[in-house]
Amino acid sequence: MNADDLKALRIPIFILAVIITIGAVAIFYLNQSLGALRRDFAQQTNLLREARTRLQRSGDEKQVIVRQLPAYRNLERIGFVGEEQRLNWVEGLRLSNQQSQLFGITYQIGAQQPYPYAAELNPGQLTINHSLMKMNFNLLHEGDLMRLLTTLGKQGAGFFAVNHCQIDRTGSANINPGSAVRYQPNLRGECDLSWITVRAPLSTGATEQKP
Amino acid sequence: MADSLLICVSAAQVSAAQWRSGRFANCTVFENDENGLNAFQGYLQQTQQMPVKMIVDAVEEDYRFESLPHSFGSDRAEMLTRKLKQHYRNTPYFSARPQGRDTGKRRDDRYLFCALTNPELVTSWLLAVQERGLPVVGIYLLPTVSAGLLDKFSLKPTNLLLVSLHNTGMRLTYFRDQKLRISRLARTESRGAGVTKTYAEEISNTRLYLHALRVMTLDEQLSILIVDRDDSLAELVQTIVRDSPNIDCRRISRQQISTGLGITIPALESSNDALSLHLLGLRAPDNNLAPASVTAGFRQLQLRRGIYKFSGVIALAIAVWCGVHAYEIVDTRLEIDNAKRQTVELQAQYLAATREFPAAPTSAENLERTVEISKKIGGTTRSPELMMELVGESLEQNPAIFMSAFGWKYDRTEISVDGAASKMTASAPATGMPSPQGGADIRKQSALIEGEVRPFRGDYRAAIDSIKTFADTLAKRPEVAEVKVAKLPLDINPTLSLSGNTTENRDQIGKAEFKLVIILKPPL
Repeated sequence: MNADDLKALRIPIFILAVIITIGAVAIFYLNQSLGALRRDFAQQTNLLREARTRLQRSGDEKQVIVRQLPAYRNLERIGFVGEEQRLNWVEGLRLSNQQSQLFGITYQIGAQQPYPYAAELNPGQLTINHSLMKMNFNLLHEGDLMRLLTTLGKQGAGFFAVNHCQIDRTGSANINPGSAVRYQPNLRGECDLSWITVRAPLSTGATEQKP
Repeated sequence: MADSLLICVSAAQVSAAQWRSGRFANCTVFENDENGLNAFQGYLQQTQQMPVKMIVDAVEEDYRFESLPHSFGSDRAEMLTRKLKQHYRNTPYFSARPQGRDTGKRRDDRYLFCALTNPELVTSWLLAVQERGLPVVGIYLLPTVSAGLLDKFSLKPTNLLLVSLHNTGMRLTYFRDQKLRISRLARTESRGAGVTKTYAEEISNTRLYLHALRVMTLDEQLSILIVDRDDSLAELVQTIVRDSPNIDCRRISRQQISTGLGITIPALESSNDALSLHLLGLRAPDNNLAPASVTAGFRQLQLRRGIYKFSGVIALAIAVWCGVHAYEIVDTRLEIDNAKRQTVELQAQYLAATREFPAAPTSAENLERTVEISKKIGGTTRSPELMMELVGESLEQNPAIFMSAFGWKYDRTEISVDGAASKMTASAPATGMPSPQGGADIRKQSALIEGEVRPFRGDYRAAIDSIKTFADTLAKRPEVAEVKVAKLPLDINPTLSLSGNTTENRDQIGKAEFKLVIILKPPL
């Protein structure tokens, strides 16, 4: 093919180039559009499936609400569900100290954080948080530690888990017969607790809006 | 069979006819002189753009049948070009066509070289065509076109002499094994009393000529086909049969030509060249004499058509693709709308159903999950109670052990010997069960016991035995997974230095302190 041939073929080559260009643009555009629509369709199909399943299970849902609502209300009452009830915790700690006849408890509550073992609990839409409380106290003997923890649990001030405890001898175990204090601490205790709370997402359905 | 303009140039006249939609239109005849050329130019001006195929019927033609060494590719092309230039120096109109291979040992290639040795015959007419801008497909010698008759009438004799009358005289074309070997144009009178005898003599002379050229011997059977387009040669057949009984002579009449080739009789009678032009329209032979410079326009036309066809195919494919996808887009949109509508309906039905539900602060799923989580957490929380009981009972069995500190931890990692968060890296397990493989993600209870052996009078062996007995007591409990001795009163590690004294003075003996790490089995 020489220069004359190329010159004679300018127009058909140009037309071919135009057709290919227009075709490529059209194919690209349609492909993109179809891809986006297919994604939308898949999403919409999922929504439809969810809506259908939800409707089919509405009867079961009612039964679940009837069955679980009392327990849920109880959890709300003890502070496991909803906002942290730090005042209740502190009050519970104070009462536990009194009832366990301890020598006072020093506590320190850290900032609320996501509960590190939440994934094991399959929380779904729920958010599980915890606040770490460090307690320092003196004990007469080892049994006081369990009595304190049991008493604190019975206060209903919240939902907690014990992570760590440490008991050391104070070295001042000698009872002074002339002292006015009836008992003197023999041990120094220290515990880390996690106060756990669960929060449900903001209500969206008609169920939650009912009075 | 695309539309084309068919032209036959001879020394006497030029015939032109259009081939449209596979049909031959009547010929227009021009004298081969200045006036005829002017009229031809006028004719071309009225002709629309179409490719031109040209036949030359002239005495100034040459046919050579040669064998060349077998070759292919560029070697063959080079050899043929060299041969053609050697044979035909004074004309650009020549061609070489392979005719099979020799039967000899070398099996050489056989070629038919043919040429128009008087290029001036077509120059002015070709120039007129090119000035009009019509693309030239090719220029062919008339005998090469006549070969089409053999196919049309299924003629397969070994030696065939095709006889036909033209303006310029009598054309005698010899075919061997259906392949053109040679042709001659005998200038004869077409009118007069002794014309049949003259024709018979020319045929006889041609037979002698073929014998002289060693193309065929006189003993070989020769078939003669007389193309009698105006039914004027019936007498010639009788003469040949009478004079030469061993010759197979056959005549094709005007009606047979019309029927066999699909040309109307008026069209056939419109020119002496009409039959040749019709054959050219039916099929152009391979022996194209035109050089590349002459056929450049047609080559460009073919390329243009090829590109247009390709463009059309591409456009059609794109259109089909776009059509299918556009349909799919519309269909998908309809399906999406349908799904949306159904979703809204189902949601409305669900909302209607939920009005019958008891009032709840969150969804049923969240209610159930919250309660489940509270149970799970309640089931997984641990207190130091079990560990304290185990240690207390073991201490009762080992009165020499005095505990000074107790640490407990419930986590994925074991309690640190130093009280830090990092995992203990103390000595190997003293006794008990081995660590479970892959249990790093499971929370377990672990405890660190710090204590000493009392009384201690410097007998480290006895102290260490007491500690190990205490550790064994713990390890035997079914709840215990592992007991590790983290520290002994005397570090007997050979990689470390060791110092002390053997005095029995209590103040100088020191204490037999130790550290133990206890790990309970994970579910506990």
